Amino acid sequence: MRKSTKAILLGAMLSGLSFNGWAQHRDYPSYSQLTARLMKIGSRYPNLCSVNTIGKTATGKEVWLLTLGRDNAENKPALVIAAGVEATQLATVELSLQMTEQLLQAAMVQDSVRQLLQTKTIYIFPNLNPDATEQYSEKLRWERSGNAQPMDDDRDGRIFEDPFEDLNRDGLITMMRVKDPTGPYRPSKLDPRVMVKADAAKGEKGGYLLLTEGIDNDKDGKWNEDPEGGVVFNKNFSFDFPYFQVGAGEHPMSERETKAFADFLFDAKNVYAVFVLGPTNNLSEPLKFDRSNVSKRIITGLLEKDAAVNSQVSKLYNATTQLKDAPKTQPTGGDVLQWAYFHYGRYSYSTPGWWIPKQPLPKDSTYTSQTYPEEDHEDLNFLRWAKANNVVGTFVNWTPIQHPDFPGQTVEVGGLAPYVKQTPPKHLLEPVTRQHLKFFMAYAELMPRLEIVNIKTEKVTGGLTRITAEVLNNGSLPTHSEIGDRTRWVQKVKVNLRLEKDQTLVSGPKMHLHNAIAGGDKVTVSWLVKGKGYVGVVASSPTAGTQTKEVVLR
Amino acid sequence: MKNTLKKFCTAAAAFSLFLGSSVVLAQTANQVFRAAGTPQSPKVTVSWNRYYDHAGINEICRKLAEAHPDLVKLETVGESFGGRRMIALVITDYKTGDPNKKPGMYIDGNIHSNEIQGAEFALYTAWYLAESFQDNKFIKELLQQKTFYIVPTINPDARDHFMHSANTAHSPRSGMIPLDDDGDGLVDEDQPDDLNNDGHITFMRRKSANGRYIIDPHNPFRLIPAKPDQAGEYEILGYEGIDNDGDGKINEDPPGYYDPNRDWAWNWQPDYVQRGAYKYPFSIPENRNVKDFVLRHPNIAGAQSYHNYGGMVLRGPGAEEDTNTYTREDNQVYDQLGNYAETIIPGYDYMVVYKDLYSAFGGELDWFHGARGVFTFSNELMSPYLQFHRRQAPGQDRDLEFYEFDKMLLFSDAFVEWAPFDHPAYGPIEIGGFKKNYSRAHPGFLLEEDAHRNMAFTVYHAYQTPNLVIQDATTRKLGNGLTEVTVTVANTRLIPTHSSHDIKYKIERPDYITLKDKDVVAGIVLENSDLNLGKEQKYTPHRLEVPNIPGMGFVKVRWIVKSANPNLEVEVDSRKGGVVTRRF
Repeated sequence: MRKSTKAILLGAMLSGLSFNGWAQHRDYPSYSQLTARLMKIGSRYPNLCSVNTIGKTATGKEVWLLTLGRDNAENKPALVIAAGVEATQLATVELSLQMTEQLLQAAMVQDSVRQLLQTKTIYIFPNLNPDATEQYSEKLRWERSGNAQPMDDDRDGRIFEDPFEDLNRDGLITMMRVKDPTGPYRPSKLDPRVMVKADAAKGEKGGYLLLTEGIDNDKDGKWNEDPEGGVVFNKNFSFDFPYFQVGAGEHPMSERETKAFADFLFDAKNVYAVFVLGPTNNLSEPLKFDRSNVSKRIITGLLEKDAAVNSQVSKLYNATTQLKDAPKTQPTGGDVLQWAYFHYGRYSYSTPGWWIPKQPLPKDSTYTSQTYPEEDHEDLNFLRWAKANNVVGTFVNWTPIQHPDFPGQTVEVGGLAPYVKQTPPKHLLEPVTRQHLKFFMAYAELMPRLEIVNIKTEKVTGGLTRITAEVLNNGSLPTHSEIGDRTRWVQKVKVNLRLEKDQTLVSGPKMHLHNAIAGGDKVTVSWLVKGKGYVGVVASSPTAGTQTKEVVLR
Repeated sequence: MKNTLKKFCTAAAAFSLFLGSSVVLAQTANQVFRAAGTPQSPKVTVSWNRYYDHAGINEICRKLAEAHPDLVKLETVGESFGGRRMIALVITDYKTGDPNKKPGMYIDGNIHSNEIQGAEFALYTAWYLAESFQDNKFIKELLQQKTFYIVPTINPDARDHFMHSANTAHSPRSGMIPLDDDGDGLVDEDQPDDLNNDGHITFMRRKSANGRYIIDPHNPFRLIPAKPDQAGEYEILGYEGIDNDGDGKINEDPPGYYDPNRDWAWNWQPDYVQRGAYKYPFSIPENRNVKDFVLRHPNIAGAQSYHNYGGMVLRGPGAEEDTNTYTREDNQVYDQLGNYAETIIPGYDYMVVYKDLYSAFGGELDWFHGARGVFTFSNELMSPYLQFHRRQAPGQDRDLEFYEFDKMLLFSDAFVEWAPFDHPAYGPIEIGGFKKNYSRAHPGFLLEEDAHRNMAFTVYHAYQTPNLVIQDATTRKLGNGLTEVTVTVANTRLIPTHSSHDIKYKIERPDYITLKDKDVVAGIVLENSDLNLGKEQKYTPHRLEVPNIPGMGFVKVRWIVKSANPNLEVEVDSRKGGVVTRRF
């Protein structure tokens, strides 16, 4: 790996181009670095975790799965942490790895963490779209979100016919601005490097076209609309699938990665909740209950009890992480978040984990937000933040080039370097990791626990005994989601008797099946049994655990 | 050529073909007098008054491919869940053109495993096409122009289960992936039990003073409800079985259960919205194989799936939520084909799934239409009309007709007579009822005729897939050494190269019309050639892209060529319309 980095640097030097400090920014893991890091984790904590693969991508990369709490993993209530669902969000990959490393390290010294891994399983998918994220480490870096399945993005019958071109040969795909009287963009008054849309309603003039770096190879008036790749992991799931849209794929679950992920989860009956480290955020602010969304035959919103749980968990998230100013992002068609709830039937949460903090204009500034409405512009905020935090290599200064599509016009290449908004210096992720681990530890405490209480036997005439018991959910969260009670893929709470040979069930069902039991709630069960000796009462749920208690019939 | 084909179609519609069950025996040629419309001396003899299991089907496929190497080739579609090889017969005149560059017609059957005859209907089609090629001009031309992709059964595991294990006429329907249906954590643990060991799951009844049924005075096999003020003598205890898992329910977790026709990736919905859905679209391997097969053959322009029962020629949408997917223009095509089917298949009605049958998400025909832009029908085979050639009586009498037909025409072969049995839970009972091969499946003597009629419909459908003709090329000198070339490309059949739904979402790439001259200066797709209205295409002007060549319509294109004598060789390359070239 180091070798290839070196080769790139060498190549750059030979071609006489300056890198403006990109080298510092190669520290997010490539596929082989990720693999090496996972192997290291696996060999360092062989008793606590295992490293497996759920399948291969089109280029033969493994889709890795870390299983924390490896002993008896499939029989313990489990959490899923899924990262890299949106391949440009490299911070989520790194975050999942740092969380893994810190959690395992903590398990060696802290009883509470060791206890967590003994009673729960955590499935971590550190990078679900490795073919796309690899573009970060390739010679030509651009923000790729599609996997390696060739797709005709613009549906014109040609594949990859209009890729990006590195016109200024800096190894990065940035933007082009073209001086043109019809252009709707103008330089920002706060930072003229940043192009903002002119507001015609306020009498502002533009003067620039803003396009991605490249040539209109197929002369269709669109630039780079069909580059290499692919299907977007976070668009290929079956809920509200965005048919015929770029990156969605031929059909839901058409991809190796998405199918492997879904197949694994459908088999994993023990998964209690799915946490997506991805673009949407329903942890900083929960999704709201809306009756009109659940009264049609196709349900498109959280059921009432599940919305209440989302709200409870969101409060916990905000209290434990203390994170502020989270950008608001709604779920999108074909995403993992909605699939995990609507079609997999599990509690489903999402957070980007890390986002660019708000960086207000300096206090002594004479600017007012009225004069400069672009103060909140995402790129301007980012650049202020980058400056304040000494993040280098974020911007490629505009430099003029000759462009065949715009003969006689001034064309400049420049703009934010690819990935910079999603790859903060790694040390900035350390506090975020700690905050999220705090949240997960607290969340695990709230998870449901089945307990059999108030177990009673009563003699009934004729050698019969009535056994009565209460099954209590001694956690704070329900045994499973309300939507889980509607789908066949979530196991209901089972309560049954374990009878010996000479004992017979006279009355009462062989097995009680119960819908979700809320935190602190209980259900009462009873049977009439003939015979003597020990009888076991078993309450079990893959998501809330199993407890067995015995009673003696005399 | 066009005339002959037209004549044939009218003839097929007008004549009531008299076929009956013709089993060709190994007799000498001069002993046989040819019946019209049936292959004279088929190389492969098949009895079309019986059913075949999966191995039997594959054996016939193999024989057809061996006997007709220039007409029939086998392609593996994939492996079923149970490891059975799914086979497609790819039928075309291999000596005329590339099979992948002719419009394709896809036909399958038996997605619901108990709906068996779809496989024989599909297989009959393959047999008929191959065996008629030599002697029938229409079929010969059809196979020169089109490619048929025929997959007799797309649920082979459960087909074999239906035939070789005890079942009702309605089971398994599902495929054979084991599944927990009652939520107790166990899979397929309480299946129906063939208590009397006859290979059929029939009914259990018990004599009871409190029962509300009596024996029908018209037919001793049949139970009918007692009149409201009349005492009954029997109670009905459901399908043959015992409570295998001791949970107080009988037969509640049969093999399967999911519905393979709720698994297709168009407006797919989960099991709590659409009963029968499995995990996600194409989570059932047999369907995923078919999907991959169809994507490998983008020339498929028409599709047909066979189900039973009821005598219906169905088009989508399967769900009301999808009415926008079926546009007015596309429905006109469907209506023309559907009305033709009503004419040639007695007792069959052309219907729309969600309106006239039931609402279902994730059906095969919706995927073909919605995701691939392919005009698709599902036929519900075996119409009750065929029993006595009349529309069925309503209510109670409707049920009686099944008993009467069995008695009068099948001599009670379809009924297991009631016989006593000692049931572990119910005590002394009687077991009896219709066999699994009755009511849904055609009785043998009706099988060939109905297969032929349905085949004729799919042949018409295939015939109406696009037929592209490069009609003329006119030239005009423009001076400066430039020549203008104008070409008309017509589609002489009903089905467009792109359905209007396809055009809206750009499902299939445009059709390419290419002038094979290296000096093309400009290319224009004309909207109105007389007024010279059109749109210039700057990229690859020699290869013009048109979004569609409409059914019974045409497109005109124009080139400006830097040549006094341009090379007037024109190629039209359409995914669903095939590839044709012509030199002027």
